[in-house]
This record gives sequence, C-alpha cells and structure tokens, in this order.
Amino acid sequence: MSNPEKKKILVIEDDRSLQNALLEIISQEGFESESALDGEEGIAKIKTFKPDLILLDIILPKKDGFEVLEEIKKDETLKNIPVLILTNLEEVDNVQKALDLGATNYMVKSDFSLKDVVEKIRAAMK
Amino acid sequence: MFWKFLDDVNFIARCKKYNIGLWQCPNFLFLAMGFLTVVAMFGTYFASKSFDDETVTIVSVTIVAAIILTIGSLIIRGVERIAEANVMKNEFISIVSHQLCGPLSAIKWNMEVLENDEFSDHLKLTSKQEVFLKNIKDANDKMLKLVGQLLEVNRIDEGRAILKSENIDLGEIVDQTIAELNELILEKEIEVKRRIAPDLPLVFADAAGMKTVIKSLVSNAVKYSRQKGKVEVDLKSTGRKIIFTVKDWGVGIPRYQHRKVFEKFFRSANEARYRTDGIGLGLYLARSIVENSGGKLWFESEAGKGSTFFISIPIAQKQF
Repeated sequence: MSNPEKKKILVIEDDRSLQNALLEIISQEGFESESALDGEEGIAKIKTFKPDLILLDIILPKKDGFEVLEEIKKDETLKNIPVLILTNLEEVDNVQKALDLGATNYMVKSDFSLKDVVEKIRAAMK
Repeated sequence: MFWKFLDDVNFIARCKKYNIGLWQCPNFLFLAMGFLTVVAMFGTYFASKSFDDETVTIVSVTIVAAIILTIGSLIIRGVERIAEANVMKNEFISIVSHQLCGPLSAIKWNMEVLENDEFSDHLKLTSKQEVFLKNIKDANDKMLKLVGQLLEVNRIDEGRAILKSENIDLGEIVDQTIAELNELILEKEIEVKRRIAPDLPLVFADAAGMKTVIKSLVSNAVKYSRQKGKVEVDLKSTGRKIIFTVKDWGVGIPRYQHRKVFEKFFRSANEARYRTDGIGLGLYLARSIVENSGGKLWFESEAGKGSTFFISIPIAQKQF
C-alpha cells in the first residue's frame, strides 16, 4: 500500500546503474518511487502510478524523452506534473526544446551531484 | 633554413604523416603540378619553335591546361578530404565524450550513495578503505573534467560555445576558487597571498566560464610551484578594466615555447617532467572564454623562475 503522506516520484531512465543510485537517494530522502526503463513504459507508469514529479532522461528506447514530455503536456490530467529533465545532452537547442515543451528544469547529469538533484526536486515540488 | 626547406618538400614523409595516398596528398599534387607546368612551358616553347603550324601550339596548350585543371581538382579533393577528416574527428570526440558521460555520471552518483551517511554507517569502512574509495572518486572526477574539457573544446571549435554574460563580482569568484583548491594548496604547502582591491566594480562576463578560467590559472600556478612555494593572486581596477594576476615562482615556460602556450593540446617540455596528468586544454579553453567575454589573457614566463598570467576584463557599463 502506498503511503498517502509520501510524495511520489517516477524515474524514467534507461541506464540501470544511474537509475539505482537515483532511486536509492530518493527513498532515503523520504519519497516514494517507481521506475521505467523506456519511454513507453514511462507513459504507462505515469497513468498508473500518478507521480507528483517525473525525472526524465532524453535518450530512451521506444519513445525518447521529448516525445514523452510532449504526451504528458498534451494530456489535461497529467500536464501539471512537474517534469525535470536529467540528461547528458548539454546543447542549447536541446535545453530550449525541453523548456519550450514545458519541462520545469533541465539538468546535465555530469554537472550535478545527487544532492543537487534532490534540491531541484524539492524546489519543483514547492 | 635549408633543412627546413628540404623537410617542406619531402612530400613522401608529409603524406605518410597525414596517412593519405600520394594522389590524394595536396603536398605531392602541388609539386607535381609545379613540375608539369615547367615541363609544359618548355614543351610548348619547343613545339612552337619546331613546327610552324599554329594548331600544334594550340593543341599542346589545351592539353597542358586540361592536365593542370585535373591536378588542380585533385588538390581541392585532397584538401576537402583533410577538412572532412577534421569534421569527423570533432564528431568522433563528441560521440565518445557523450558516451563516456553516462558511465562516468553513474560512477559519480553511485559513489555518492555509498558515501551517504545511511550507507557508510552500515558499511563500517576502515580508514584505509576510505582512502581507496576516495581515490576512485578523485579519479572519476578527473575523468569527468577531461571529458567536459573535450566537449567544451569541440563546442568552441564549432562556434557553439555556451556563454551567458551577466554582471559578476570577480573577487567573489577568486575567493571561491581559492577555497575549492584548498586541498591541493595544503598538499603542496603553498603560501597563497591574495590581494583583492576593495570596492571593485562588477564585470560583464560568463560566471561559470570565468570561474573555470581563474580556477585553471590558479591551480596551474600551484601545480607548477615547488613544494612550500608561494603564489600571489591579485585583483585590481584600472578604471576601465579589472586586471587579474596570478604569479608563481615555479618551473616556468621556456621562451621558445611561448607562442605555443595557448595552442590546443600544448604541454610545455619542462611541464611534462613535473606532472603527467592533463591534456593541454586548460589554457586553450581559458583564452577562448576570456576573449568571448571581451577580455584578454596573456602571460610572462621564464624557465626555472616562474610565470605570471594576466586577465583583463572590461568593467560592466551598468553597475547593478
């Protein structure tokens, strides 16, 4: 049974070693979490898990992060969920595209520590 | 001089160095074209002398022109191949660096989880094990930094550098940098003298970029100082510009290498004896960042006596 007090975070990330570290820190910080390894699984989990926040990678199998983001923002019931992009693509074009599509924040993995990521999660949930 | 000329015309060695065949190598083709032009001139001259018929001269000139044109187009193709190879090299570096970022970030984050209180309490590492864990973390940070530098160089080369200029306080950046380099400073027992003029005006530059530059210059000064040496960091205003200076009394750079210092992948001859890490991108990046912010970066150095690096950055027009 999920705890109604706990905020829920969905991690859509295809690299298991990154995903494991993220899930661990998220649970240590007192959030409830779920994960998906590709874009399609991500969309399905958003509908069933109903997260309060989504951490989304861009390069993903089946559906990439931009497509997932577009679908979330098109859906009236999902569009208010904050989406934080977590990727290694640091080109300005990608940052702009994600922000234009409605992402709340854009983080380049190699520049951020897990502590920084948690800070951004808390800031986006306020 | 003569040897240099011989080296220049030694097209076989040159073409081998570029790893391309003779008929694709501009050095060889250019020489071949020159040789052919001379032969053709003499040929045309003698043909026109020996035969009274004008047609012979016209035909021979046309044939020579056609041959020169063909070789010319081969030269262009050769140059294009080299340019294409350069583009491919940049793409290759970009793809490899991006691919490396994933696993390197994974190592960084998983190390962070291990270090987190909740885990380290259960792990009960001995102090020796902690040292080894820290070694892994440091090595990974170094790799992330190298990959970051490679990507940044690629961006600059392709004119895609991301610089966000805003009003910034250089004094604050200098203080932060010295604090971040504390471990290295303590390790080498360096006395860092810091003189920051009071009430310095703000400058209009990219904050992250300027921090990278200052960190790179100060850490170089510390790295190339001798153990228990001294480094002076100075920040002052000339009215229109802010001048940042960092001076060390370390190994210095030999005069004959001065003009190469800001080249990509440059590593000083005597530097390599002192340190083996680094790939020679720090100063190349530093100069690009400073110049993109409208400033200048230069240095004075003497082998065995030390180096002084200077940055001048224009003061922001609006001070808020």
